[in-house]
Amino acid sequence: MDAAPKPTDARYFQMAFQLLFLSYGILFLQWKAAWMEYSLYIGTGLLMQWAADSITSKKIISPLHWSSGGWKSALVSCFSLCLLLKTNRWYICVLAAALTVLSKYIFRYKGKHIFNPSAFGIVATILITKEAWLSPAQWGSGIVIFFAVCCLGLIVVTRVQKLDITLAFLFTFTGLLFTRQIIYLNWSFDVFVQSVSTGSLLLFSFFMISDPKTAPNHKAARIIWAVLIAAVAFYLSAFKWMNSTPIYVLVFAAPLVPILDWLMKAKRFEWHSTKSLPISKQSITQRI
Amino acid sequence: MKKKTIAAFLVLVFASHDVWAFCGFYVSKADGTLTNKTSQVILVRDGDRTVITMSNDFKGDVTDFAMVVPVPTVLKKSDIKVVEADLFQRLNDYSKPRLVEYYDQNPCQQMEYSKMDKASASEVIVQGYGLRNKANRDEEEYKVKVEATYTVGEYDIVILSAEESGGLYKWLTANKYKIPKGAAEVLEPYIKSNMKFFVVKVNVEEQENLGFEQLRPIQIKFNSPKFMLPIRLGMANADGDQDMIVYALTRNGRVESTNYRTTQMPTGKNIPLFVNTNFGNFYANTFQHQWLQQNQSILFLEYAWDVSPSNYMKCDPCVSEPPNYDDLLKAGVWWLGKDAYNDYVNQYETKSQNVFFTRLHVRYNRKAFAQDLVFQETPNRENYQARYIITHPATGDLNCEAGKKYLKELKERRKKEMDMLAALTGKGYDDWDVVMDTDEAANVAAASYATVSREVKAEAPKKEAGKDIFMASLALLSMVTMIGVTRRRKEK
Repeated sequence: MDAAPKPTDARYFQMAFQLLFLSYGILFLQWKAAWMEYSLYIGTGLLMQWAADSITSKKIISPLHWSSGGWKSALVSCFSLCLLLKTNRWYICVLAAALTVLSKYIFRYKGKHIFNPSAFGIVATILITKEAWLSPAQWGSGIVIFFAVCCLGLIVVTRVQKLDITLAFLFTFTGLLFTRQIIYLNWSFDVFVQSVSTGSLLLFSFFMISDPKTAPNHKAARIIWAVLIAAVAFYLSAFKWMNSTPIYVLVFAAPLVPILDWLMKAKRFEWHSTKSLPISKQSITQRI
Repeated sequence: MKKKTIAAFLVLVFASHDVWAFCGFYVSKADGTLTNKTSQVILVRDGDRTVITMSNDFKGDVTDFAMVVPVPTVLKKSDIKVVEADLFQRLNDYSKPRLVEYYDQNPCQQMEYSKMDKASASEVIVQGYGLRNKANRDEEEYKVKVEATYTVGEYDIVILSAEESGGLYKWLTANKYKIPKGAAEVLEPYIKSNMKFFVVKVNVEEQENLGFEQLRPIQIKFNSPKFMLPIRLGMANADGDQDMIVYALTRNGRVESTNYRTTQMPTGKNIPLFVNTNFGNFYANTFQHQWLQQNQSILFLEYAWDVSPSNYMKCDPCVSEPPNYDDLLKAGVWWLGKDAYNDYVNQYETKSQNVFFTRLHVRYNRKAFAQDLVFQETPNRENYQARYIITHPATGDLNCEAGKKYLKELKERRKKEMDMLAALTGKGYDDWDVVMDTDEAANVAAASYATVSREVKAEAPKKEAGKDIFMASLALLSMVTMIGVTRRRKEK
């Protein structure tokens, strides 16, 4: 299960691709570039991460010597917020970014955070404030972006060795969709193609559910978990007519992860940078 | 001023919509000529309740008219209403894309004004563009169940549920409905999704009694989590594009599609003065161009505004009267008042005065729109309008220092306007006939559109570099990734 030493931290690639998606949206999909929201997400996120790092290490970390790696995760989560969460109010941005980063420190079980930070931040903000929303169709269903997201996402997930979750989720979700739309309802094939080629679904599978820190540790457990999320998300969208179901289900299914970890024991994932150094117990708890 | 190619193009675009339209499909009882233009729908939604009002611009022998709309539930008689047609006219007039006119002041005179008194702000005139606005044998044999039959206003209504599409198809044919080819295969998914069929034809006797010349819009209401418009049936035998305007009225904020991208029309753009006489034409071209540029599978936002009765500023500038309390009630905004919709309002429900208006314009065809339109309500209450600006030049003698400077600036501004016109409509400079009018000739000849147009044409066409830069950075990023990966491998 131990990953080979990774040359470069995969989160750099994640950030680069997220930035690329954001610029694609603004340049070609005519998104309103909400610079104020973006800077609030990123600013608040980094500030919260810094504060949390300072508190956990019991000293005020100078921003110049801030090397815990936490800021990379915080930045990736904040870019997710920029890509997905829409709002017209500045305080909602602050709240969302704060919830995203702080969830890692508040909801913990045995040294592992329970929720995917950005998914939690998004869902909690929407449910609490009712002033923010998701636009599942913001990517359109252009086939070009379909390929781009697939390939780019693939690189990211293969580099952190969690392709199993993504594939299990995608196969289950699209399989169920195909069964319902084509085999049962007898829609024409392009109806199905349109359903699965949305950027939102792919972005979720490659960049959100694949987060190795919040997935179960054991391979079999990960697959069970992904299949479960896909099945419930499909049910809610097809029969209850709910939108953006995968992300909600991901958050509500998160408490299952500790249970699965307890049932099926395996080594926990760590982000690797430059070389895989022997990690002491203490440094695991510090690196979040 | 002359018009040229653009006008011809517009006719083509509109003519192609004269096919089947609407969320259901019109079926004919005989081989009459059916005409149906841009369809309009009012969609009122809150919680799980939906009120849909469908405009009816059917022209032809009313005995030939019939309509089939898939609905999620069996409607009661009280769920069906007939409303006045002018409601659509009012909503359209209020929310359509608008042209705003501004007037430059003569800088030579302005200086004198400013000595005497502060000049009043530019006068504003508003003009909208014209949309073509008027624009039990059964159960055994066909496995079709007639759930209910009603006569509402001038319409005879049958609500059907079916077990299989073949049976429904046969039932409709046996009852002398002429079903478009290809409808049967679309009926099946609806039947299996447990949808009912709302079948409407005209009761000629009632129509004569009521004395209405034109068929009036039908309004239906139901409770269902499905917030959608079934457009697929309307495309059963249609080739070509159809237009639909959706006026959505919700409690919280804007409506957007969840399975097609919703985007705003470019707005607040300065365009040349000569568009003045041909704004409808300009907008039709702009819409078509934007639609093609965005790969067709898209919904355009044309208007979004808080129209709550308590909100005083319902438009800025207003093209026509904003919808009033009565209009909103007629459109089916049940949460405004209990009296009008007693049958529909849960008495324990809190009354609210919030109404948000969203106008969506969709041009659909079978290829770009495989799925029915599904919507969601967002908490986005940001106002938006598709608004274009023309500016009249100053009049009078401009022979002063400031006047010369003004002419120079005017020329630059008009170059930008011409560029904007080309960017919005996708038409080259040659497609627009730019002819000086007499006022221009007298005052601003040096900066007239004819002059500007010649100069703009002479300049090299500007190419949009955005996509190239994006693709280049994408390629660069992939390359860096690849190089990084291989180098690290080698090091190992």
